[in-house]
Amino acid sequence: MTQVATGSVRFDGVVKKYGDVTALKKLDLDIEPGKLVTLLGPSGCGKTTTLRLIAGLEMATAGQIHIGGEDVTHLTATYRKVSMVFQSYALFPHMTVQENVAYGLTVKSTPKAEAADKANEGLELVGLAGYGDRLPSELSGGQQQRVAVARAIVLEPEVLLLDEPLSNLDAKLRRHVREEIRQIQQRLGLTAVYVTHDQEEAMAVSDDIIVMNNAEIAQKGTPADLYEAPSSAFIADFIGDANLADCDVKSVSDGMAMVAMNGQTYSVPTRNSLSGAAQLVLRPHSLGLAPPDTPGVKGTVSYAAYLGKEMQYTVDTEIGPLFVISPVQAKPFRQGDAVCVKIDPTQARLVAS
Amino acid sequence: MKRLGMISVATLALSASGVLADELSVVCSAEQDWCDLMVSAFEAEHPDTDVLMVRKSTGETLAQVRAEAGNPKIDVWWGGTGDPHLIAAEEGLTQASGVDTSELLGWAQNMADISNGKAIGIYAGALGIAYNADILSEKSIEPPQCWADLEDPRFEGEIQVANPNSSGTAYTELATFVQLFGEDEAMVKLAAVGKNVNSYTKSGSAPSKAAARGETGVSIGFMHDMVKLAAQGFPLKIVAPCEGTGYEVGAVSVIEGARNPEAAKAWVAFALRADVQSRAPEVGSFQVPSNSNAKVAPESPDLASIKLIDYDFATYGSSDTRGRLLARWDAEVGDPNPQK
Amino acid sequence: MKNTVLIWLAIGLAGFAFLPWHMTDDGLFDPVWINDGNASTGLFSALSGQWWLAPAGLAPLMAIAVQLFVQAPVRRARITLAIAIAGLFLIALQGMIIVRAGPRILEWLFTGEAALAGQPGMGAGAGLCALALLFVATVSISQSGKGQGDAFVVSTIGLIVALVGIFVFFPVMHILVRAFEVDGGYSLTEFFPRFFSADIWGLGCLFGPRSCGVAINSLFLGVMTGAGTTLLGLSFALIFTRTDFRAKKLLRVLTVLPIITPPFVIGLALILLFGRAGTVTEFVADLFGWEKTRWVYGFWGVYFAQLLSFTPIAFLVLIGVVQGVSPSMEEASQTLDADRWQTFRYVSLPLMRPGLANAFLLGFIESLADFGNPLVLGSGYSVLSTEIFFSIVGAVADPAKAAILAIALLTLTLSAFMAQRIWLGKKSYATITGKADSGQNASLNPALRTLCYATALPWAALTLVVYSMIIFGSFVKLWGYDHSFTLAHFIRAFGFDLSSGRLTGVAWDSYFTTLTIASIAAPLTALVGLSTAYLLVRQKFIGKDAFEFSTMLSFAIPGTVIGVSYIMAFNFPPIELTGTSIILIIVFVFRNMPVGVRGGIAAMSQLDKSLDEASITLGANSFATVRRVILPLMGPAILAALTYSFVRAITSVSAVIFLVSAKHNMATSFIVGRVENGEFGLAIAYSAVLIVTMLAAILLLQLMVGTRRLRRADRVQQTA
Repeated sequence: MTQVATGSVRFDGVVKKYGDVTALKKLDLDIEPGKLVTLLGPSGCGKTTTLRLIAGLEMATAGQIHIGGEDVTHLTATYRKVSMVFQSYALFPHMTVQENVAYGLTVKSTPKAEAADKANEGLELVGLAGYGDRLPSELSGGQQQRVAVARAIVLEPEVLLLDEPLSNLDAKLRRHVREEIRQIQQRLGLTAVYVTHDQEEAMAVSDDIIVMNNAEIAQKGTPADLYEAPSSAFIADFIGDANLADCDVKSVSDGMAMVAMNGQTYSVPTRNSLSGAAQLVLRPHSLGLAPPDTPGVKGTVSYAAYLGKEMQYTVDTEIGPLFVISPVQAKPFRQGDAVCVKIDPTQARLVAS
Repeated sequence: MKRLGMISVATLALSASGVLADELSVVCSAEQDWCDLMVSAFEAEHPDTDVLMVRKSTGETLAQVRAEAGNPKIDVWWGGTGDPHLIAAEEGLTQASGVDTSELLGWAQNMADISNGKAIGIYAGALGIAYNADILSEKSIEPPQCWADLEDPRFEGEIQVANPNSSGTAYTELATFVQLFGEDEAMVKLAAVGKNVNSYTKSGSAPSKAAARGETGVSIGFMHDMVKLAAQGFPLKIVAPCEGTGYEVGAVSVIEGARNPEAAKAWVAFALRADVQSRAPEVGSFQVPSNSNAKVAPESPDLASIKLIDYDFATYGSSDTRGRLLARWDAEVGDPNPQK
Repeated sequence: MKNTVLIWLAIGLAGFAFLPWHMTDDGLFDPVWINDGNASTGLFSALSGQWWLAPAGLAPLMAIAVQLFVQAPVRRARITLAIAIAGLFLIALQGMIIVRAGPRILEWLFTGEAALAGQPGMGAGAGLCALALLFVATVSISQSGKGQGDAFVVSTIGLIVALVGIFVFFPVMHILVRAFEVDGGYSLTEFFPRFFSADIWGLGCLFGPRSCGVAINSLFLGVMTGAGTTLLGLSFALIFTRTDFRAKKLLRVLTVLPIITPPFVIGLALILLFGRAGTVTEFVADLFGWEKTRWVYGFWGVYFAQLLSFTPIAFLVLIGVVQGVSPSMEEASQTLDADRWQTFRYVSLPLMRPGLANAFLLGFIESLADFGNPLVLGSGYSVLSTEIFFSIVGAVADPAKAAILAIALLTLTLSAFMAQRIWLGKKSYATITGKADSGQNASLNPALRTLCYATALPWAALTLVVYSMIIFGSFVKLWGYDHSFTLAHFIRAFGFDLSSGRLTGVAWDSYFTTLTIASIAAPLTALVGLSTAYLLVRQKFIGKDAFEFSTMLSFAIPGTVIGVSYIMAFNFPPIELTGTSIILIIVFVFRNMPVGVRGGIAAMSQLDKSLDEASITLGANSFATVRRVILPLMGPAILAALTYSFVRAITSVSAVIFLVSAKHNMATSFIVGRVENGEFGLAIAYSAVLIVTMLAAILLLQLMVGTRRLRRADRVQQTA
């Protein structure tokens, strides 16, 4: 269990069409061995299609797919060394937990005793030793989820695929299980591809995140890359909350851009050279509220919510509504208060409009 | 896939079982009990022959014999009205058995002559009228004596007869009318009777059964069917029409290309024997036997006392005459799809 | 995979070299054929003059060589495929050309004694060889394509297409061609005037004294029966799910009885109750002094009998649908201030639309194909099914007319299919969301409940009376006249001699044949039906729509047409099956397959696809997936398919009449003979025994499949 053959995944110009509908435009992809990579994006963006193409549950219309350096483009799922954890877990209801975990070994005619041993090892790994004789229906949701993971990894796959594995769990359990999955993946050095639409989940577990939109890759990078240097308004909005404000780029030098917005000029760090109309990404945490007579963008609080650890405000301003999160103050602003929104230009990011 | 293969092999194994040499395949178009009696009696005399018998109506049998032409699965066709036997002979679907017919009555030999020995008469049944005594007395309707009586309005909605398009019995009736009255007059009379008919049934024996149960007052059909129903206890009275009447001759044929022709011929010879024919009444079959030495049951319609016409099987059995008469019947007597 | 091909090639070669190529008169296991010149192996025959059999042996040999010497997998697969297809084609071709009487065409090519002697139908060797080549071809397709195909899936598709082609299309073509037959040839121009004649499509009954055409009669009856059974079925389904009616169990039994009743029986009982001399008629006539009429003969009688016979089918379709309407939708409607009637009218009823359409379609098709009821009760009301029958067996046998009428009937049923598709459109009617529903279905409002009771309960009462009559009829001497108690009918049918242990009853032979054949046909039907359903639901392949349609075809063709077409097609080489029990089994399998397909599709749609995908990504191939995951979870569908095909094999008449032989007689054909002969007592006693047998078999099946199902259903529920 400790040594797992890990494989890379490579897509070369993979296209997937269903009739006239293009589910995936020409996709190039390279996933390094031992990494956990998340495919993130809104529904219909093509992330699940990509996952199913890796699994072999769908066949590419064009292009090549390599797993572990081997061309598997024409191999069906049965013959790929890939395992998958399903959103619904897809545990076989008529088999015990142990039979479920041993299933992949059994169909490959592994001797019974060996299959059972490996299954028990797998269950131990996910902390379910001793649950082997139960039926899936006798387990809690989190336990079922772990059985599904155990079932997938006992086959020692080159790549482990996870399709929204946490979406059926409640919020607390979700954090717990995702940590477990990440630990197992790192301990075994597995290559894993993880699909989710939850950006927080993606940031929490991934080595790399591939954000997809409209059947193609929007941006790829580490969680920090995506948050710190979004390449587009879409990414900025999708990774962490963001207020987007129209602005005008005057000049760029030494990684700093001079940006005019609402009659004021800000010096904003940037990695790309834009000019003319652009958008300023203002993270809610980076904004602050001040009394109306201080410098900043003027506005009126249209909504205020007390969340215990922080305050959330929506402020109607000259540059449109802004979402602001600020620490709880002794005397919070209330709905209808005139305020001024303070912008920290070093926290702001610039994206093309 | 191996599994699929196994099943297919099993299926093929089943399919490979065929017919044994000493099996005789008989289709019987007479009453089931008579069929059973014949089989057991034949097997008793020929212990080496296993008789496989199935009962099918003459129409079904003719359809099957035609479909199987060239590679028949049937050896002998025994019983059932003679016309289909004659058609089969005409179409070369049956073969002459060469069995001695000298003991047979004239009408039976006649049938053999017409068909060049391919179909031989085994029994005869006269066409007649039956009425339900309960119904007629309840409605105070005078029972019919002649064909002409059936035209009387007192029988309105009380007469049932089969459709000659589907029933050989009804075709015999049509041909009888034509031979009695001439073709044009026959159509007029049939149309007049038709005014009183409540239903043209598909099957020839259905009207008498309906009359027996009181579903209709009067029926036209073969007398031996009526005798059988009356013997079962139904209040059915049988009338031999005063103008005279036609009759059917039940036949036996050996199928052309029969796999077991020897046993088939043995069956024909057996079926023509007097002692065998005499046993029919045991199972309630009251047809008149064709062997002159066979005993006639007392219940059987006495052909000698019935005024029988000289039925011309050769003419009225031919496809041409049949087609012409049926076309006229459709046009002048019956709605092809009557709905009353 | 290469091994799979080699194994099949070896099997094919073995079939060619060691099994009798042709049909033998002796059993397969009788070694006589080894020495018998006529039944020798393909190898022997090919060497002794029947050179045209050689391709059957050469094809596997060449393919084996290809396996061994061609290295590139895709290239190897393509060459193998070509060889296998060529081999199959040549085997079929020689079979079609050289029949018993020698070559039919190309006489100059097939000369010599062996060719002129002709050959009998194909036997075990030919079958095995062709099957092996078929699988070699399908496995090769799966290897040569774009990796779309799993060998198991492609092989299953190939096998089913081949079977449907041979046992549905091939015979049906035989009879449909007859529609264009004229004296001495074929003509297209003759067809149209005959097809559109007033005898078939006439509307005379609307405008004058003449009657309508048979197709119009059938159509009218079908629509009325479809509507009537759907309405009654809905009433029953509503009573079951939305009321607290007490005698639900009794109702349940009443809804099963007509399905397992042999044909004719209901018609006969109706005559005895409502005929002019019927019990009810007499009673009412005495009471009110009304004239006794013959109303039961004709449209109303047939309609009445069909309502009794087919309502259970509508009920079975609708109960699932009515239960499937999610309570939360009804609760949502009620929280939106709709009353119970409005909820039913605007929410529940529209959601049941697919079910209603299905029930109507089934009722319509059953009515069109129904043969027994119109025969007994139709009188002057001609419908297509009986008219086709009498065109074939009547005094004027006219196969061309039968074929034309068959086309008319097919036109009607296919139009109904189309209409249903159009009516349902593309709206989503999914009400099972996968989320657990804890709500309760709204109960019916009083007016609707009364209406349901008022329609369903008289039907139930009538069914009860009809079945009491049937039991009564089997124990009296002469039904309708002499009602003294007797066991004579049972003794005559099922008597046995204790001292000698011999079965003396006349019905035993056909009884055992029927049970044997039904028992063999039922699992095969379920197998073929459910495999087809699996392909349709779970697999994507080219020509899937056409495939689906062709599997439904045999359901829409009346039994009589199937029966006659089977004789025409399978009486001669290359496939000779008439007179065997195989032909009966095959006709049942392919006639009842559509129901297995429909049931399988419904059941499989409820199994989450991720279960299959999980199995496949875990390294199982499709076959292992089907065996280990899908089959164990399909208990109820398997049970339904088994039960239905078993019951249908026992109760069907029209297809069977032509196919029974002396050796293999069926119960229904026996009963029909007795009814024709007026022996109602015996016929009914036999029917009663059949009904009891089928009930016992259904219970047994339920015990075998059902208990496992319950345990699993519990587990499934808790999983969600």
